[in-house]
Amino acid sequence: MLRYIVNRFIQMVVVFFLFLIISYLLFDAIPGNAFQNLLLNPSLPPYAYEETIALYGLDQPLSVRLQKYIVNFFKGDLGYSYIQFPKTAIELIAERLPRTLMLFSVVNILAFYTGFFVGKILAWRRGSKSETWITITSVFSYTVFYPWFALLMLWFFGLRMGWVPIGKFLTPSKWYDSPFDSDVVFLEMIKYMVIFSVLYFVITLLTKEIESLNLRRNIRLGSFFALLFISNFYWNTGQLSEMRFYAGDIAYHTILPVLTVTIVAFAGTALLTRTTMMEVLKDDYILTARAKGLSQKRIRDRHAARTALLPVVTSFIFTIVTIIDGSVLTETIFSWPGMGQLILESVLREDIPVAMASFSFIGVFALIAHFLADVSYAFLDPRIRIKSQG
Amino acid sequence: MSDIILDVQNLSMHYETLEGNVLAVKDVTFNVKSGESFGLVGESGCGKTSVAMTLLQLQPENSVISEGSIKLDGKELIGLSENELRKVRWDSISIVFQGAMNAWNPVIKIGEQIREALREHYPENSKQTNIDKINQLFKMVGLDESTANRFPHELSGGMKQRAVIALALSCDPKIIIADEPTTALDVVIQDQILNEIKKVQELLGLSLIYISHDIAVIAEMTDKIAVMYAGSIVEIGPTSEVFNSPKHSYTKALLDSTPSIKGEKKKLKSLDGEPPSLINKIEGCSFAPRCPNRNISCKPERDMKLIEVGHDHFVDSCSLGENYE
Amino acid sequence: MDTVNNSENNSLKYESLKRNFNLFKQSKIGVLGLVIVAFFGLLALLQPFLFLTNIWDEATYHPVVGYDSQKIQATVVSCKDIDYPTPEYKTPNDCPGPEEVNIVAVAPYNPGIQEGDVIEQFIQPAPPSSKHILGTDSLGRDVFSQLMEGSQVAFVLGLLSAIVGVGISTLLGTIAAYFGGAIDAYLMRQSDLVLMLPTLPLLFIISAFAELQVWHLALVLGIFGGLGGSVITIKSQALQVKVKPFVDSARITGGSRMKILISHILPNVAPLALLYMVFSVTGAIASESILSFLGLLNIDMSWGLMISVAQADGYINQGMEYWWLVLPAGLAVTLLAGGFYLVGRGLDDVFNPRLRKR
Repeated sequence: MLRYIVNRFIQMVVVFFLFLIISYLLFDAIPGNAFQNLLLNPSLPPYAYEETIALYGLDQPLSVRLQKYIVNFFKGDLGYSYIQFPKTAIELIAERLPRTLMLFSVVNILAFYTGFFVGKILAWRRGSKSETWITITSVFSYTVFYPWFALLMLWFFGLRMGWVPIGKFLTPSKWYDSPFDSDVVFLEMIKYMVIFSVLYFVITLLTKEIESLNLRRNIRLGSFFALLFISNFYWNTGQLSEMRFYAGDIAYHTILPVLTVTIVAFAGTALLTRTTMMEVLKDDYILTARAKGLSQKRIRDRHAARTALLPVVTSFIFTIVTIIDGSVLTETIFSWPGMGQLILESVLREDIPVAMASFSFIGVFALIAHFLADVSYAFLDPRIRIKSQG
Repeated sequence: MSDIILDVQNLSMHYETLEGNVLAVKDVTFNVKSGESFGLVGESGCGKTSVAMTLLQLQPENSVISEGSIKLDGKELIGLSENELRKVRWDSISIVFQGAMNAWNPVIKIGEQIREALREHYPENSKQTNIDKINQLFKMVGLDESTANRFPHELSGGMKQRAVIALALSCDPKIIIADEPTTALDVVIQDQILNEIKKVQELLGLSLIYISHDIAVIAEMTDKIAVMYAGSIVEIGPTSEVFNSPKHSYTKALLDSTPSIKGEKKKLKSLDGEPPSLINKIEGCSFAPRCPNRNISCKPERDMKLIEVGHDHFVDSCSLGENYE
Repeated sequence: MDTVNNSENNSLKYESLKRNFNLFKQSKIGVLGLVIVAFFGLLALLQPFLFLTNIWDEATYHPVVGYDSQKIQATVVSCKDIDYPTPEYKTPNDCPGPEEVNIVAVAPYNPGIQEGDVIEQFIQPAPPSSKHILGTDSLGRDVFSQLMEGSQVAFVLGLLSAIVGVGISTLLGTIAAYFGGAIDAYLMRQSDLVLMLPTLPLLFIISAFAELQVWHLALVLGIFGGLGGSVITIKSQALQVKVKPFVDSARITGGSRMKILISHILPNVAPLALLYMVFSVTGAIASESILSFLGLLNIDMSWGLMISVAQADGYINQGMEYWWLVLPAGLAVTLLAGGFYLVGRGLDDVFNPRLRKR
């Protein structure tokens, strides 16, 4: 197991360097020496100009430039933004990355679970009328033209119904006299969510050994509500009680983007789960499970779905990049100030250092997500686990 | 010894397919007494496995039981709801499937898969009780206790099959169906597994239904035997009697095609032709077209009907070996 | 002799094609997909036909430079800043209603106009009429004609990129399977890398700094698609074919490597490659629409652009009031991408034995 992870990690590091090189070369290949654009920018003071040239080694040969870029990347120093001058590229990213990460993880988890659940039901009810309809809906949401769909969602829920805010990260009028910076509040929220999920995960692990299935389920459900109850106290302590109002505002703004991406992203998982489940249901051990007198639900969840999970996870790993693409669009449409919006803006306004840095960061982010999914896959499949031991 | 534990009466079942109805089981009647081992023998595709699946009510969705009854310990199985059936399965009747390789879920540990059945039927058991039970079962079938913590792909074919037997025994069933349990194994392991089954059966006093195409194995394993052809039982009786004086031409043909280690050397005879397609209803005698000496022994015009030729020994009347009246 | 063989061969191919099509017809969703694809194919072909036969005149119907003004008879009303709802209007947005015009808007050009007068008004965008089946857009261009043009773009781009992509992945996949060793290892790592590239940001960058034409995009999409995950799948399929007895017998009878590769392995990988091709069209169409929606593609007209225009002019925010600007383009992208996807699913359901019913 360990060997497998180490192997994977080494591979990831190699790919990571390759990716950095490629992303630099890509920008380097832009015709007309893109860095010269900064000459035309009157808002940049001369010292910034000098510094940028020195930082990127723009007057030196390619091999040196490449080397400098990689070193700078690790030093976290990628120069000033051309457009928002006093800020550096890294500062901008540090501000935006958590927002994207949050949106991305929530959406991913939701989309995977709903997709898997729906696919499971579809395969189980093969041939029924509800199956046909859910399949058609899933195919529609799998192939729907995403920006269009997102705009319609925005129109319907935001404008027509007025249930949710139309885009943006927060309501500015509420924050005028706020004692907190929005990023501080947001980090507090992320911290809370991480603690919550870790605690719940620990509970799941602890209850794994309970023999009675009903008891196990009830304990898990109960502890989930207990955690929710405790969170109530958590948000009432000290500074957090004042932050609560602002955190609520941010959470309110996340509803629509999360809902929209989830609707689009779940379908791929659902359709694939259906196919794999249908293959699995023909296997002999399903018959064994039935002969053992297990309940339908248990056969479906424990035997069929558990085995079908493996290929679904594999393909999910492959689609992580697609979901990152999806959140890039989401950010643009819902004016969610994250990495996706940053990269599109910087590309359109030819803010080269920022575009370059954010592209590299998105790539690294994809790489890490890929790696994590890979490792969790190894945990799921005992065959890999064993092979790497011996 | 004489109480009947499983009583099958006039069981008929067909599959509905695109090409038409496939009559897989036709008017099958037999019973199994407690502690008895019963053999079901016949060519591939003659309906043996269909009978086994129907006994557990695990037949595929496209199958229809047109008539008959299956009484397990006096309780009628046909027509029970899925939930009621779940209580019967494994608790009273369990099965060792054809090809143990695929009988295990590849991603769940062996022990857990056995424990699952125990949990379903004895929800009040503590974990330790279940583990002790499994260890005891493993000991009985000659497996190490550590097997419980292994995944199926870590075991050899023979070990898997032993574990399957342990699984089948886990809920103390009254009757076990063994559906060609040794097909995928090599000869040495086959023999070990057969001995294991026999030993366990005698030890626990179980009834056993042994299904195989291999008449030699059946001879070794069973007290009573039924020969199936094209979905019907053509001869049924105590094993020794059927072997020593087979009456039906098909039984004779089967015996002639099997070499015997003891006894005189003889040329093996093969049976020409193929079993009939079961899609169309067969009128009259189904074996007639393949009957080796058609003129004397086969009465194609006669309907299939079992007649008693000896104590507990019944033979289908249309293809009697001699001119039996 | 050769010709006889060829014709025999052809009739055999025809037979097998016919049989396969009959198989395919069993899959309802596949047929549905095929109908959708055929519908858009017809749309794409219909437009040049209409122009060539002069049924449509270019000045009116051209998707990019055409112009037509629709006139309606509108009643002049006055919308005052008063408390809503009033008996006629629920909210300020409802005034002026359809076939009405605010007096403030027309008074400067029509001196002496009064409330309640009926005047002739040009409207853009105009709602659907018999002349313009799907109405006109904010510049007076025919939406239906734009839809047809978009359909042409989608087909050209989708098919071109799919062919390029599948060509590359089939070639590389079979090479990786057949030669193995270092070549294989290299190709697999390359696929891993390409798979992890965030496609959309990458396309942003490429398109922002280089003027992207449609066929450039098709090539880029094709190459990235072809180097990615499909190489792995096609390789594993080719590996299965490679160990089949007929490949061994071809080798024993002295077939050269190239010959075996071309005449034995490729044909057996082709069905899977075809399946990939159909699925990748879906992705290509979506990518093109997204890029032109974001204004990153150098293109005159496409479905993505139509939505982009509708959004920029604020019509999407008015929802269904201007439905002919909002729905057709979005639905077209969705349906055509979905149509290709369904065809792929249909092929998969029928030709993948593991999914077949019985």
